[in-house]
Amino acid sequence: MTPTSRSAPPGTDDDGADAGGSVSFTLLHRLRARRLMDSPDRLDGLDALMLAVARDGDRAAFAALFAHFGPLVKSWLMRSGTSDSAADDIVQDTFVLLWNKAHQFDPARARVAAWLFTIARNLRIDRLRRVGDAGAMLDDAALDDLPAPDRPADDALGARRAEQRVRWALSQLTADQRHLLQLNFYEDRSHSDIASQLALPLGTVKTRLRRAAARLRELLHDHRP
Amino acid sequence: MIRHHPDEAMLMAQAAGTLASGPALLVSSHLEGCARCRLAVREFEEVGATLLLAERPAPLPAGLFERVLARTESGEPPAPAPRITPRPPLPAGMEWPRALRHARVSRWWWMAPGLRWARVRLPYDPDAGVFLFRIAAGKCLPPHTHAAQELTQVLYGAFDDGRALFSAGDFDAADDAVHHQPVVRAGGECICLAAVEGRVVFDGALARWAGAAIGL
Repeated sequence: MTPTSRSAPPGTDDDGADAGGSVSFTLLHRLRARRLMDSPDRLDGLDALMLAVARDGDRAAFAALFAHFGPLVKSWLMRSGTSDSAADDIVQDTFVLLWNKAHQFDPARARVAAWLFTIARNLRIDRLRRVGDAGAMLDDAALDDLPAPDRPADDALGARRAEQRVRWALSQLTADQRHLLQLNFYEDRSHSDIASQLALPLGTVKTRLRRAAARLRELLHDHRP
Repeated sequence: MIRHHPDEAMLMAQAAGTLASGPALLVSSHLEGCARCRLAVREFEEVGATLLLAERPAPLPAGLFERVLARTESGEPPAPAPRITPRPPLPAGMEWPRALRHARVSRWWWMAPGLRWARVRLPYDPDAGVFLFRIAAGKCLPPHTHAAQELTQVLYGAFDDGRALFSAGDFDAADDAVHHQPVVRAGGECICLAAVEGRVVFDGALARWAGAAIGL
């Protein structure tokens, strides 16, 4: 499906925006979205919603994705230092882009959560850069993935099992390692911020972060469900 | 074959989007040629996704989804293509990394016999210390160490700095513990992209002066 044909997805004329401001879609759509969400594995359910958006331009599925992920994306953005209103703007941009690029979604390559994470991350960087220079907008191409890495089927983070695998790997780290990753990876704290917060020398923080990140990857590859 | 890669913490920070713009540019240009590191970044993105799913939802203002829908219906204006500013010449067969498409690159300036450099300016972070070095066959950079961190991505050719051989596609991170003198092999010239944080400390007075002149 081309981006042009996406702008008017079929069979969704009853999904118009309402003035009341809440997410609105018909009961039938609501039930269908619910069924997709409730498939045996909840995450596969989210991917199924995304597939419905990708294949059919399904606006009810899109609304369900927004309702599920919008507040999570906002929460992450604010945790990493984005202001409330900027976070709302980025959430908005993220979902516009998700819709416009939906045809590129391939559940075999990445689950929708990972795809959304990368879109929101790129838009956040883009916004930080624009604050520095209005002319430095990220072009569209920046959001396209590079060619998929060659990965042995057995050893890859298959989209389906990625969630369990990552959760398991994180649970195997020490509490200190998890904390360090959380600060650097997720809350956008610089190495020196972390060093002063933990009262550790900078070199120690760097070494520990390297070890924690390497250990995490080993664990991701060790996991055999 | 690529032998030298960014460390896992750097790939993780790239996935998280938390690298400073100079290092992020270097890692991006490495990823263009390195499937192994692209896979690692993708795996760390999966970690990001898992952390995202574990977030406590933050309330969104009423009407936000309607604004999204309105924009999907009206269609977005196409993003402007990046303005490619004039670029200095490269050896035949070498292409600019995609990661540099937003950057402004100066002409090649003379630094020493067989050694030229160009300033790479990121419009969104003009102070980021990013440079290109073009070193002729058999020539070398003056011996130096680094006040903080120097990242290098080899774009063309190869050099040996006494620690290891670095060829096109290889990535190197050197800090104050590393004192080295990159020497380009006799076979051909070498072009490297470098991100420098903190000053580079050259050994000789003349090299120090040259380094200071170009802002290293």
